[in-house]
Amino acid sequence: MLTAVTMILAAAVLAILAIAVAYVLGWANRAFHVEVDPQVEAILESLPGANCGGCGFVGCAEYAEAVARAGADVALCAPGGAGCARRLAEIMGVSVSRTFPYRAVVHCAAHEDHKLDRTPYDGEPTCAAANLVAGVQGCTFGCLGLGDCTRACGYDAIHVIDGLATVDYEKCIGCKACARACPRNIITMVPFKSDRMLVIACSNQDAGPDVKAVCQVGCIGCSACSRNAELMEMKGKLPMIDYDRYDEWADFTVAREKCPRESMLYVGKPSAEDLAAVAGEEMPSRIEADFKTTVDETQWRG
Amino acid sequence: MASQDPTAVERFINGILPENPVYRQLLGMCPTLAVTGAVKPAMTMAAATAFVLISANVMISLIRGLLKPHLRILVFTLTIATFVTIADRFLAAYMYQMSKQLGPYVPLIIVNCVIISRCEICSSKQRVGVAIADGVGMSLGFALALGSIATVREILGSGTWFGLPVMPESWPKWGIMVLPPGAFLTLGLLLGAAEWIGRKRAEKAKQNR
Amino acid sequence: METLVILVQIAIGAALINNFVLHYFVGICPFLGVSRRVDTAFGMGCAVTFVVTIAALLNWTFTYFILRPSAPLPAWVWEMAGGDPQTEIDLSVLSYIMYIFVIASSVQFVEMYVRKFFPHLYKSFGVYLPLITTNCAILFACLEIMKHLDDPTGLWGVHEALTLAVGGGVGFTIAISLMAGIREELDLCDVPEPLKGPGIALIVAGIMAMAFMGFAGVDQGIQNAIRLLLQ
Repeated sequence: MLTAVTMILAAAVLAILAIAVAYVLGWANRAFHVEVDPQVEAILESLPGANCGGCGFVGCAEYAEAVARAGADVALCAPGGAGCARRLAEIMGVSVSRTFPYRAVVHCAAHEDHKLDRTPYDGEPTCAAANLVAGVQGCTFGCLGLGDCTRACGYDAIHVIDGLATVDYEKCIGCKACARACPRNIITMVPFKSDRMLVIACSNQDAGPDVKAVCQVGCIGCSACSRNAELMEMKGKLPMIDYDRYDEWADFTVAREKCPRESMLYVGKPSAEDLAAVAGEEMPSRIEADFKTTVDETQWRG
Repeated sequence: MASQDPTAVERFINGILPENPVYRQLLGMCPTLAVTGAVKPAMTMAAATAFVLISANVMISLIRGLLKPHLRILVFTLTIATFVTIADRFLAAYMYQMSKQLGPYVPLIIVNCVIISRCEICSSKQRVGVAIADGVGMSLGFALALGSIATVREILGSGTWFGLPVMPESWPKWGIMVLPPGAFLTLGLLLGAAEWIGRKRAEKAKQNR
Repeated sequence: METLVILVQIAIGAALINNFVLHYFVGICPFLGVSRRVDTAFGMGCAVTFVVTIAALLNWTFTYFILRPSAPLPAWVWEMAGGDPQTEIDLSVLSYIMYIFVIASSVQFVEMYVRKFFPHLYKSFGVYLPLITTNCAILFACLEIMKHLDDPTGLWGVHEALTLAVGGGVGFTIAISLMAGIREELDLCDVPEPLKGPGIALIVAGIMAMAFMGFAGVDQGIQNAIRLLLQ
């Protein structure tokens, strides 16, 4: 008898509680309603959510609000790419021209042996510090190879290989962290209108003899390329490529042949010929020291 | 994506070691630290959790068509609370001493992240058979984790295993092991060991490729 | 005056001696997850304290009036229905379900309220509120209060329940803020690879637990001091 009473009372208590709470929460939902812009919600859902900051805003939420309220460009999200820009354009009701992914390009081609006039450097092993010291390497414009960009990259997409920062285009998402970290500002963002792009791989603005004295592959400013290619123009002693008009079918063969140095490179994902050439080879495994001491990563705070 | 969902058997095997709820997913740490002072309460807790997990999986899988998205967490929690009440009353009736020793940690199974996350990830989207296999696998994995930690703590802390003496009389019992600091230290070091083993296996797999 | 002494004992017990995280192992998930930076950790601690107070208040009320073995409300209903007033009606089997229901609903309500009236506060700790629903610490505080409502001799009033809740929340905040401070420093240290992340965090928590064991007996000293002062 008591069991039945307990059960009935228990069920009644739960039922009354459920109804009361549902009523209170329903009231609260209406009374405490916060106007949430449905556009901001929709934009947030379309963004990849990596919170990388590449768009220039603090996180995906900030960018969503900026697009919805402050009219920010819908195509700023590099990891989202063209698909994301199209979705945002749909939500905002604007049209977006065909956008291309921006990827980091290092404007230097000098590996360890190409750099002349290099002195041994024992200071703080960062580019920012070495940049402040005179005489670390002959070329005051080029890549120092101490890895500030590698440490800044959150996607393991740039490494210092043989003294030169090299981008892995399979992994780069274009967040600009390396471009911001480079103290010599030789990493720029280039719209990749095809998988492989022609870039000017030198940042040295000195005249020919001065460049030859410090680097075996740097641009000497001879203008041979710009005379033979429409999309190239000399700015001082360095050629610039007009990427807005760049076309993947543009023919730079003559310009590249005329260049007496190795200052123009195709960078990007490996081309079909490259892949075919190494198809049969075994990649040698990299031998790395299998111990690390704390001294290796110590920052010298002298 | 339906063809890429793990099958029932795969889920069962996943739950034991590859996606072990404690060592790999880092869920359900509260009971893991609290009841592993000795192997007996640890196994009782693992059994109670297994009962709740499997029953809740079955129930949620059966009513998965009725779940509204914004109310689903509440429904999961209430279902789990019901089964935990049953388990708690059962323990209080038939294993009173153990129930007193486990104390407030049996009702805390309600907020055990393992169960809610399995309901959310698996049983609210799969049919009953798959949900049961997932529940059983995860329960075995949980029991394995609890058992390993309890073994270390009990042998070092009291010189016994499941109440049976295994260390010689002269063993100075490491009292710290059965106290809270010992729980944290043991779990931290065992997590490090599990991570190390995982890395070694990943390296070997990469080399063999 | 004795009340004050007992309240001090409960508060210090919950905050330091039997710290929710380091002694009772509740709230480990947010403890490991949110303790990377001191400001987010402190926000989480404040949110937990806030929610545990509200939940403890509501659940004490329900337990005292409805759920405990000789609760007034079911007895009154039973009498109205013509039953024998001597029989004891015990609805405590509903405790867990009711507690978790009340906790989830009150967290939802608080989240809506904070979002509407304190948007700035919502930005800083509002996102943690849904996480707290499944936080063991809240349910544990309610269970501790329930334990002291089962015993007819030492029934806890609402003041004792609230002291336990606030003390527990403050203890959680202390523990998580300390852990966040240590983890910020650990980021710069040379931690072995397998232990990085939760491994080293748990080892540090173990050492912290050992340190907090030293607080045993502090409540006795403070109680004696209060008695002396108020004599």
